Amino acid sequence: MERNYKTNLWIDWCPGCGNFGILTSVLRAFEELNLDPSETALVSGIGCSGKIPHFVNVNGIHTLHGRALPFSMGIKLANPHLTVVVHGGDGDLLGIGAGHFVALGRRNLDIVVIMHNNGVYGLTKGQASPTLELDAKTKSLAKPNIQQALNPILLALSSGYTFVARGYAFDGVHLKNLIKMAIQHRGAAFVDVLQPCVTFNDVYTAEFYRKAIFKLEDDHDWDPVVHEPNEAKEKLLKAIDKSMEWGSKIPIGVFYANELVPTFEDRFGKRLKVYPNLNPSNSSIENEGRPILAQNEFEELFKEFIVDIRRNR
Amino acid sequence: MNEVGLIIGGPQGSGLETSMNVLGRALASRGYGLIADREYFSNITGRHSYIHMLISSIDLPRSLKYPVEILASTDAETIFTHFNDVAERGVVIYDKSQAGKSIDAVPSMEDYTKDRIKSILREHGIEPIVSNVIGYLEKEKNVTSIEIDFPSMIRKIIERYKVDPRQASRYVSGLIVSAISVVLGLEGEFVRYGIEQQFKERAHLVEQNLGLYELVKDSLTSFKNIVKIDEPAIRLSKVMLLTGNDIVAIAKIVGGLRYQSYYPITPAADESSVIEKYEYEEIGGKVVGPVVVMQTEDEIAAINSAIGAALTGARSSTATSGPGFDLMVEGLSWAGANEVPVVITYYQRGGPSTGQPTRGSQSDLMNAVFAAHGEFARIVISSGDHTEAFYDALEAFNMAEKYQVPVIHLLDKFLANSIASIPIPDISKIRIDRGKVSPGGANYKRFDMSSTISPRAYLGTKNTIMWYTGDEHDEEGHISEDPKNRLKMYSKRMEKMKIILEETPLNLKMSAHGEKSPDYLLLGWGSTKGVSLDAIDKLNSRIRLGYLNLKLLWPFPEREFLEAIRGIPVNKIIAVEHSYGINIASLIAMSTGIIIEKRIAKFTGRPILLNELVEAIEKIIYRNEKRVVLEYGA
Repeated sequence: MERNYKTNLWIDWCPGCGNFGILTSVLRAFEELNLDPSETALVSGIGCSGKIPHFVNVNGIHTLHGRALPFSMGIKLANPHLTVVVHGGDGDLLGIGAGHFVALGRRNLDIVVIMHNNGVYGLTKGQASPTLELDAKTKSLAKPNIQQALNPILLALSSGYTFVARGYAFDGVHLKNLIKMAIQHRGAAFVDVLQPCVTFNDVYTAEFYRKAIFKLEDDHDWDPVVHEPNEAKEKLLKAIDKSMEWGSKIPIGVFYANELVPTFEDRFGKRLKVYPNLNPSNSSIENEGRPILAQNEFEELFKEFIVDIRRNR
Repeated sequence: MNEVGLIIGGPQGSGLETSMNVLGRALASRGYGLIADREYFSNITGRHSYIHMLISSIDLPRSLKYPVEILASTDAETIFTHFNDVAERGVVIYDKSQAGKSIDAVPSMEDYTKDRIKSILREHGIEPIVSNVIGYLEKEKNVTSIEIDFPSMIRKIIERYKVDPRQASRYVSGLIVSAISVVLGLEGEFVRYGIEQQFKERAHLVEQNLGLYELVKDSLTSFKNIVKIDEPAIRLSKVMLLTGNDIVAIAKIVGGLRYQSYYPITPAADESSVIEKYEYEEIGGKVVGPVVVMQTEDEIAAINSAIGAALTGARSSTATSGPGFDLMVEGLSWAGANEVPVVITYYQRGGPSTGQPTRGSQSDLMNAVFAAHGEFARIVISSGDHTEAFYDALEAFNMAEKYQVPVIHLLDKFLANSIASIPIPDISKIRIDRGKVSPGGANYKRFDMSSTISPRAYLGTKNTIMWYTGDEHDEEGHISEDPKNRLKMYSKRMEKMKIILEETPLNLKMSAHGEKSPDYLLLGWGSTKGVSLDAIDKLNSRIRLGYLNLKLLWPFPEREFLEAIRGIPVNKIIAVEHSYGINIASLIAMSTGIIIEKRIAKFTGRPILLNELVEAIEKIIYRNEKRVVLEYGA
């Protein structure tokens, strides 16, 4: 069935914004994977990137600044059959929401995180974001940036994400393929998308990226996939090493992929065999308006709290 | 006697809770009613902690009072801290090895407390040494002192059962329970039951504790049954014995909870542990669960993940106290904007800031009612006791889903940590109401404005797409800043308040107790209920009193409130609250214009006690005092 994944809303990003490239890649990826819109949830934070769910014809949850990950976690745990894709900016995911970003790695929940990384807080007119380098002076900063940048790939790798990749907003096919891989990956997947902000970031421009980026897969020896458990450490170290490359040569592509780590759903299901088939969103809680438990079952279930009075005779 | 008060005190970590549970079960199985407050510091080991229990032969008690008939101590600090709480002709149980200890040799006592107690002792002319304090009680209050050599008694157990001597302190709780049981004349079979229930399959602990009981019993034969409590006359064949955290957890499970998030915080965290224990159960061929219990990275993730889960149709909640709730407030506002049914169980503790993390308070009423930016419909309900908390926790989900609003179930530490014997809840009284549910479909609009409450399709419904956003939105859930859409959508959300007030039954809004048309009306909410009911009963022969237990705190049920106080002059209404500001009076003033000036406040972090509440009411009525501040209790 041919599906139209694009809503007919007018897209209010600045002309030339990297978000257009990301949106197109997302739409293509969804098309090629033929995702069921009613079983897909696009969850976003706040900022320019936060508007993306309104432009995509799948369930859209436009949440709070920095909190897209907790919302998506609740959605995914309660209904593990949904495909959950999160969009956030660099300020959203690594500034105000950094704690949640790290926590998702620890959990390895089967969620995709796509970070619109433009080095600035665009929607508040260009303040420095956590990925802007020390001493960089983008055009709306009164003084050069006095805080140093963090490395999103390195942070994702050390937090435990089991799929870590970087794409570029204006390399649509490459980015679409990364997004598809991220969706198909079982576990927490992170895609760092380098994204020019035409209005506020005059340092990391499209021209800058065009010159700097190269594809990891162009090196035929580059294999980021962990095929055997004993490869995990070596591949992770290689990915970490690669993540340090920045400046005149910036790698894009898959840094690390390891499906051998149990997902959160697996961990929960190991303890609770019925999960995820039986889960919070599809399990019955009532019977014609009455609770599942009858009086005697209630008393049996909670017997540790019940004291029978045995009068002394 | 038909009531016996009891304090068991000792250092935190010495097994007082175990004592409470063993003794509680033993007494309950014998047919007595009981309630017990747990007082403890924010500390794991060493600070002074105590259980304050009331045992009744005629009722399931609902409040605590001083003085107590039995003071059972495992250390010197307990004697110094509570000697003044012992009744005339009461009993003090203490450790012989601590008899010579001076208050200055108790490092765990705060200087302020030490100085305060020393000055009281000085006034009575007592040296601050345990044996002198005991001597004073014997002489001046006719107290019977029971001296037990704790170390030698425990040594016997260690030798008999070949226990590792480093575990000696584990037996202190059993020793105390045994001594109290002897004094109360509680028969061995009930003690055995209490011990068995506590230690369950750990048979060696059952055996050792029973051995200890026999040993203590034999050494205290002359004290057997010196505190004479009447034969129990409560007509129940069974009771539940549990804390407020327990009963709320149980109610949530019965009510179909499917997602519970929490970040560890006192006094809320125990609730989530109980739920996790029962995350999935099969009983009588029926499936109960699964509940996903998620320990999140912070309270921000707790509320927002609960909201996310609620979108999928899972009954969803989080449990916290003040500091955690503060972090949840932005999410609360999102839930209001997006009409999400989510329940926040809010156990108040002493603030501001970290305040008194392990002590009780009702000072967050305004926080629960007003916190969060913007205007939106929310429900705040409170519960006066364990039984109310059970039905209210269930009703919280019904109301959340019926009106598609966040519901705050406002409780407190007193309820959370108090253990009480209560009647078994009546499951046949419970209804599960999921509100207006839509089957969805291609033309589904989540915020359909053709009715105030738009039918809800769950995220994941076949062939259905929906959008949510914290921005103002149109019927589909897309951002809209159109002024006319704003007017309609905003009003739609706010108008729910009126519907909630119209549809909520009176018994969920408030309950009136005592005299039908009283001369004086005492009024409060939450955990002031039990003690207030006992106070009005106690004063009943002299003053015709009533108590109004307010339950639905927001939206405030103005009409029913005015009806409830009809005919009572405002200067004969007394508001009582565990706070400085008596915030309920402000909420009433704001909602009705009625300014209640007679107020009883307690903000020491300890629960209001019957003895002091009775006095306070008398002061207001007979001495025309306006405001009485209570302070009893260590």
